[in-house]
Amino acid sequence: MLDDQGNLSIDFLAGMTIFMIALIWISTMVPGLLITLQGKTIDYDAVAYRTGAILVEDPGWPASPPWDNLNDLQKGDIQRFGLSITKDTPNVLSLHKINRFFCSTAFSYPSDYQSRLIFSNFQYLFNISLSTFDRTINESLGDVKPDGYGHIRRYIKIKYPSNTTILAPNYLNSGVSGGLSDNTTTHVFSVQLNCTQLIWDETNVAYQINPLTEQIMVNISNLNNACIFNPCPPNLISLSSIKIYRQNPSQPFGQVREYLSSDPQFNVYIDGSNTPLPALDPPSVNVNNNVSVIFSPGFFFGMASDSSQMYVNYTFTLANPDNFFNNTFTTPYHYDYNPVRVTQPLLKEGVLEVAVW
Amino acid sequence: MVNSDGQLFTIEGISAGLIMLLTAYIVVNTTSIYTPGDTHISDMQLEQLGSDALRLMNTPNTSATSAESSLQKIIINNDTAQFSNTFLWFCNSTTSGTNDNLQFTADLYYRDKNTNSVNKIHLTQTRNLIGGEHPVRVTEWVHLNSNGQVPVNNREQAVLVEVLLWRD
Repeated sequence: MLDDQGNLSIDFLAGMTIFMIALIWISTMVPGLLITLQGKTIDYDAVAYRTGAILVEDPGWPASPPWDNLNDLQKGDIQRFGLSITKDTPNVLSLHKINRFFCSTAFSYPSDYQSRLIFSNFQYLFNISLSTFDRTINESLGDVKPDGYGHIRRYIKIKYPSNTTILAPNYLNSGVSGGLSDNTTTHVFSVQLNCTQLIWDETNVAYQINPLTEQIMVNISNLNNACIFNPCPPNLISLSSIKIYRQNPSQPFGQVREYLSSDPQFNVYIDGSNTPLPALDPPSVNVNNNVSVIFSPGFFFGMASDSSQMYVNYTFTLANPDNFFNNTFTTPYHYDYNPVRVTQPLLKEGVLEVAVW
Repeated sequence: MVNSDGQLFTIEGISAGLIMLLTAYIVVNTTSIYTPGDTHISDMQLEQLGSDALRLMNTPNTSATSAESSLQKIIINNDTAQFSNTFLWFCNSTTSGTNDNLQFTADLYYRDKNTNSVNKIHLTQTRNLIGGEHPVRVTEWVHLNSNGQVPVNNREQAVLVEVLLWRD
């Protein structure tokens, strides 16, 4: 007996085939639909790892001049944050880059950091903290960490820049052959930055003194003990000018800058004051004991090269003629790799943590 | 006598089998992509910690022309206690909160010039590595240019520090 029980109709097969094709096609899209939900834990760790690697192993972009030399108005030119000194020195970070990176007045969390560090369409939140083992630096930015987040911890060394302290009584004018400027009222002291020697005598940038990219600090102290009869009489010493001169192989020796007023990259501090000297043009400024000059990273970048010799000339005026702090008739004070004269760059250990969620 | 018993069940069985195979394929395909990364992330984090610690121990804090790194000094003086203190100081430090608690065992490999063979010296460890642990391996080449207590023929050479690192 013939009947149609058990026969599978063509309609059913066609419908089933279409259904299966559709099911497979949709199923292949499921991971994409769930990636923001299911893949979070793993994705967070990957983003944290990448962020940590950028911060610790990359100098950032632009590299020349470095991004940390750009001021707040130029922050739109910064394409990528990175704290390393150069790409050849992973884990050795620049102190100035760290200070700029954690500056809350210059950069807003999270928008400025998401576009220059996290690099993702997904709006990750994060917390980045950095501290030295001796806790002299303890910086943090971002939100409070929730329960579940991706994480990476990196160990670092921070390069502290060089500085020099010049004891004025060690550089008196007396005793100079011929006494050309003994007992005069105007005295000039010169500090030399030989960029060629500084950059090529030490090729390891972790220990290099590089005036083009790093802070240079010159402290002159004990000025009130630099007279014939010490201490110097009150109101005797005035600072008249601080001028920068340049000598290049292809250019004549000449003045390139003078301290006229406070500048973000060129600041003068008198007698231990915490605020920069507002102006020095004219009159001269009374000094009792100390003059500190800080050239921020990048100050010399536009005016010097690795073949330049830069001179910082201080002119002091005295109310009465006297022997005083003066090296006009000897040699300039060399800012170099002699640890007796200059406190050399120093690396300090620390830890950096990145949490992403 | 002709009937259709069997024909019905065969076709249904094949259809059901195909559906089950496809379902199994889709399920496996959608869930397996997370597995590899998940198992390696903790290893990667630990490797990075150990690698950073050894690298920084091998970086002097002052000018490299005159100063030796703490790792160079440790090997030259065979100061295993200092190695343990310094390595754990790096590996366990955090920016805030409680410190980490990592375990390690460290060895030193060098070439013996007399026998032209590579030998191993056990440096130090926090405790024995047992079967259930899951350590990661990190290494650092150290350049030695001065004489020391290490039995390495008192000559300029490179030695390899190997650390197995794990979390309790």
